[in-house]
Amino acid sequence: MMRDRSPVSLLAIAGAAVQAVACFLPWSQFAGFPGEMLNSGYPGGARMYVLFLAVAGLAVLVLDPPRRAAAARAAGAWSLAVSLLTALLIGYAGGGLVNVGTGAWVAVGGAVALTVGAYLLDLGQDRPLTVWHLPDVPWRQPAEIVLTLGVAGLALWGFVVGLGIPDSTIANGDDHVILRAFSLNAITAGSEFLSFLLGIIGLFVIASRVGIVASVSAVTQRQRAALVVGASVVAIAFPFTQGGSPYGLRIAASIGVFAAAAVGLNIVVGLAGLLDLGYIAFFGVGAYFAAIYSGTSTSPIHTTLPFFLVIVLGALVAAVFGVVLGAPTLRLRGDYLAIVTLGFGEIFRISVNNFDGSSGPSLTNGPNGVSNIPDLKLPGGFSFGDNHSLFGVELPFQANYFFLEILLVAFVMFAFLRLAESRIGRAWVAIREDELAAAATGINTTRLKLLAFALGATLAGMAGTVDAHVVKVAAPDSFTFIESTLLLAAVILGGMGTVPGALLGASLVYLLPEKLRFLQDLRLMFFGLTLILIMRLRPEGIIASKRRQREFHETDATALDRAGALDPPPGAHA
Amino acid sequence: MQLFLQQLVNGIVLGATYGLVALGYTMVYGIVQLINFAHGEIYMLGGFGALFTYTVLLPAGTPTGVALVLMLLGGMVVSITAAVVMERFAYRPLRGAPRLAPLITALGVSIFLQELVRNFYTAKSPRPFPQLIDPTYQVQLGGGVTISLPKLVTVTAAVLGMVALSSFVRKSRTGRAMQATAQDPDTARLMGIDTDRIIVTAFVLGAALAAISGLSNGLQFGQVDPRMGALTGVKAFTAAVLGGIGNISGAVLGGFILGIVEVMATQYAPSPLSGGAWAQAWGFVVLILVLVFRPYGLLGERVAARA
Amino acid sequence: MHTPRIARVAVPIIIGALALSACGNKKENGSSGGNKTLTIGVVAPLSGDLSAVGNGIKNGVDLAIKQANAAKTIKGVTLVMDAQDDTAKADVGAQVAAKLVAESSVVGVVGPLNSSVAKSVAPVMAQADLALISPSNSGVDLTGRDALAAGKTQVRPYKSYFRVCATDDIQGPFGADYAVKDLGKKKIAIVHDKKAYGQGLATAFAAQAKKDGATVLPTETINPGDKDFSALITKLKSESPDYLFYGGEYPEASLITKQMKAAGLNIPLAGGDGVDAADYIKIAGSAANGDYATALGAPTDKLDSAKQFLADYKAAGYSDPADPYGAAAFDAANAIIKALAKSYGEGKSGQALRDEIVKEVQDSDFAGVTGQISFDQFGDTNNKVLTVYKVENGAFVPAKTDSFK
Repeated sequence: MMRDRSPVSLLAIAGAAVQAVACFLPWSQFAGFPGEMLNSGYPGGARMYVLFLAVAGLAVLVLDPPRRAAAARAAGAWSLAVSLLTALLIGYAGGGLVNVGTGAWVAVGGAVALTVGAYLLDLGQDRPLTVWHLPDVPWRQPAEIVLTLGVAGLALWGFVVGLGIPDSTIANGDDHVILRAFSLNAITAGSEFLSFLLGIIGLFVIASRVGIVASVSAVTQRQRAALVVGASVVAIAFPFTQGGSPYGLRIAASIGVFAAAAVGLNIVVGLAGLLDLGYIAFFGVGAYFAAIYSGTSTSPIHTTLPFFLVIVLGALVAAVFGVVLGAPTLRLRGDYLAIVTLGFGEIFRISVNNFDGSSGPSLTNGPNGVSNIPDLKLPGGFSFGDNHSLFGVELPFQANYFFLEILLVAFVMFAFLRLAESRIGRAWVAIREDELAAAATGINTTRLKLLAFALGATLAGMAGTVDAHVVKVAAPDSFTFIESTLLLAAVILGGMGTVPGALLGASLVYLLPEKLRFLQDLRLMFFGLTLILIMRLRPEGIIASKRRQREFHETDATALDRAGALDPPPGAHA
Repeated sequence: MQLFLQQLVNGIVLGATYGLVALGYTMVYGIVQLINFAHGEIYMLGGFGALFTYTVLLPAGTPTGVALVLMLLGGMVVSITAAVVMERFAYRPLRGAPRLAPLITALGVSIFLQELVRNFYTAKSPRPFPQLIDPTYQVQLGGGVTISLPKLVTVTAAVLGMVALSSFVRKSRTGRAMQATAQDPDTARLMGIDTDRIIVTAFVLGAALAAISGLSNGLQFGQVDPRMGALTGVKAFTAAVLGGIGNISGAVLGGFILGIVEVMATQYAPSPLSGGAWAQAWGFVVLILVLVFRPYGLLGERVAARA
Repeated sequence: MHTPRIARVAVPIIIGALALSACGNKKENGSSGGNKTLTIGVVAPLSGDLSAVGNGIKNGVDLAIKQANAAKTIKGVTLVMDAQDDTAKADVGAQVAAKLVAESSVVGVVGPLNSSVAKSVAPVMAQADLALISPSNSGVDLTGRDALAAGKTQVRPYKSYFRVCATDDIQGPFGADYAVKDLGKKKIAIVHDKKAYGQGLATAFAAQAKKDGATVLPTETINPGDKDFSALITKLKSESPDYLFYGGEYPEASLITKQMKAAGLNIPLAGGDGVDAADYIKIAGSAANGDYATALGAPTDKLDSAKQFLADYKAAGYSDPADPYGAAAFDAANAIIKALAKSYGEGKSGQALRDEIVKEVQDSDFAGVTGQISFDQFGDTNNKVLTVYKVENGAFVPAKTDSFK
């Protein structure tokens, strides 16, 4: 337990404790701020996330895990950021700092104490990072399985909470717009989500410094089966957590197709290393195929095909497009490939925009797109457009699509994993690393590259056919270059070469602009900035495969540091 | 016949803009194998820099000639600064990394700059640019074919820029150092060449040429907008690839070809595939066809792949 | 070691316990000062290239709400606005529409800006019977008018969708009649930007012009975002038209007219309400003189209410301009507010309130700032007054106001 009873350490502990207590006090003196800051008792709104950070800091300081000082610093910094930001926003919304409640100031004071104390602690006193294992006892395996399931549950809980945080504009009072872009009213309205985001990131940093992240991921790697089961249960359980509201399910349905496409792109970019900047075109092929043959009155072709046929044929047509795209690019080097795929993406978009009978054959209804796509209907009368009840819970109709997408994503993931661990997958990796050497070892690079394009296109096409029915419209504006960039960003951000990475990346790329509404017009600007920062700080993505991590950090100090190689040996003086 | 020649002139003018910007792409790629997606934004910043110089810094009543020179300098200052900062903080740290990392960074920089200017400089609509060279004055080229004065300036600038850059690279010491770095950076370093400085020089030269193009574009159309870099950038990069990336004359040649194809497609492509709606697509089609038959571009040479 | 294991178990449990206590933290439907809070939603592009226009719509609604709250138009109710950004994309539009539908305090929605987005938003609103009034959608199929062109009977596709603006099949022919019958033009070139609005309008114009007896050249297209139109202009010049109709927005139109005149093609450029913007003249400069644009409603300086609106808008200090659709959005919001005033008094709430509001909106009949606001049985506005504006000496001057028959 607590070995360090120096005044600095006590200061930090006191700060954390004070901050935690302050979360139960009122933070504002007026009603209406997100999180009901006027009330004492329940720590609503941003107070909850400050509470988490403060408790985490307290735990770290008292329980003396490895890298204690580093983790305490993280706790201090992040809790200070959240409490100070919240206090200032409350002050702005109330029309003056006078309206900020005592609780907020106490919390800020506690955060300052914690931060100062933590930064004064000597980093050299920290024990180096260790990956913890459970001892080798009979109940080790079940314990690890429970832990893995717990991680899945935690992910679901986090997602549901984050999704449910209000972010809409408060429309009262005069707004101040700083530098023509930052609307303070909007930031105030989104402050709870901002606190949530900062809180989650802060907790993650603390956990990773203490070694929890490394240990838990080691466990989940070992318990792959449990992880899959856990993830499936969590996915299926999600619609039941929404209390009948279609909003969250609608978002989840969109994330589902986006994630399926991201995994498909992961094959092309992540495995085979073929930089495709026009990938959204394959998605679009599937979407338009489903739209045209859905029987809607806006489609120029008045044939209806049953959905099972559509999903198979749509995927096949997309595969053909994939081969058509791949064939001319076989001899091209990586960067030329990028511009050619970009060109194909644009040609696709321009074509569907023009195929309205006047600038091209009447196929896709031009710039208006094919709209009013009906809901899917299964033979037997089950319509995807109706709400259904399951286990006594009323599920809005978007849940039907969500369940369909769980199947789709499961299929796509399964395909990816089987491919990645097969001879084909290894051949792709070989081509990615050094095409000449790969060809020299007898790999038919032509066939494999075409296969990569075709398979990636197939998966995207399948996702597209489902998307057409979720979104109910297929229009050229949805298939622009920026959409391809977003898909690429999802794969890169989440972690190339790993399936959970693609899922996480898709969720983030889709969800963050949704929830960070207060950024309004600056959303894209921050997106660009995020790309730059990620590439600078963690280019292998959030959930990265070991291989990629080594690739990107070959001579990196940080990798060595993470492995503990740079820490002074115990007992040595700094 | 007059119609054909006039459209040809139109195509050459369009191509001149692409060519000047393509030079920047090709130079940077030749040395560091990086597609600087943000180069289009450097071009845009050059135009905005010139606008800023005119509207904010120059007192009213400055004679046109002086104003133009100062605007050019202003534009260059902005674009060169952006390029140098970009290189130093976004690209240099990623120099050893796998190909994807600097590419994504470049995309991020491009998006960031576009949005930065759109949100913080303009009133969210295209900004009027002073047309100091009268766009209505038509120079007669014979046979009824005309070209306006600002357009003539654009074409001249492109050709001069290409010639100047070409001779610089071939004849000057720095230029030869650039060639050496492009061929083999390790050996170049062994020979005592400061490769970091050479790379910065490449960025600077590319930015300067882009600024010229930005200014001439503003003079031609009377406006600059934050999106002008995105549209022109992709086409200019296409032009560079078309001509053979790494090759200076190739970049300008590719620019002209692309411009001419776009214009000719608008006029002569078989209906319904003609008109502005399809012009961009035709440009890409030509690119793909060229790359199928000449994978390194029209004038490109096979360069040994870096391990 | 003891400590790490305890830490590993204890810390997650503590955090987990606290976390579980957070479950069930739902957003409550607030009330302020004893009043019930009801919401008017807005769906418009609030970010991206169309953000200035979308914000104009949002601000128009905001002004209407502010005025209603200040005048306590509806007793016992405070109105707030929930503005959602559709980024001018159909799929995002459907998503934010679902969000607004799910929020129980929303009683009506103004928007969207783009007809293409409306195709995704209107069905969602119709399914929930939530009133949706657009200030700017001109696509004919949104109220079933496309059947009229094919000679079939008009059927209303979305029962809760209304609009306060002119449709393409009214604005286009109005402009065509003016060009051929009033101005006597004989050979007209048609150009559009291949987007839903521009193409719809240009096609309607071309059809009417042909009917009126003019020669109509084959339609040309351009790309939005293009700046160099020399290829187009050279091509058109060789055909020698005496009038050019452009379907699309002012950024491209202003450049076309400028380059056209500079190249010696000195004919008027005419457009729809997308061209009727102050920035058109600002960018085109003196080249705009002699050009035309059509717009819905009588000229604003004829209507006192319109002048008052502009003054109020300016006084409120919004950073984006009111035109082109701020005034229409203001009228749309007031239609909802008036309908709410009538329905709320009857003590309804929830879905019943929404249903009643749709009915009351259908029966709207009041003087708005863009003209008389009332709707026909298909959701279209009965206000078919249109004005042709001509650019003279650097400003739009009304040339003809008429009711389209």
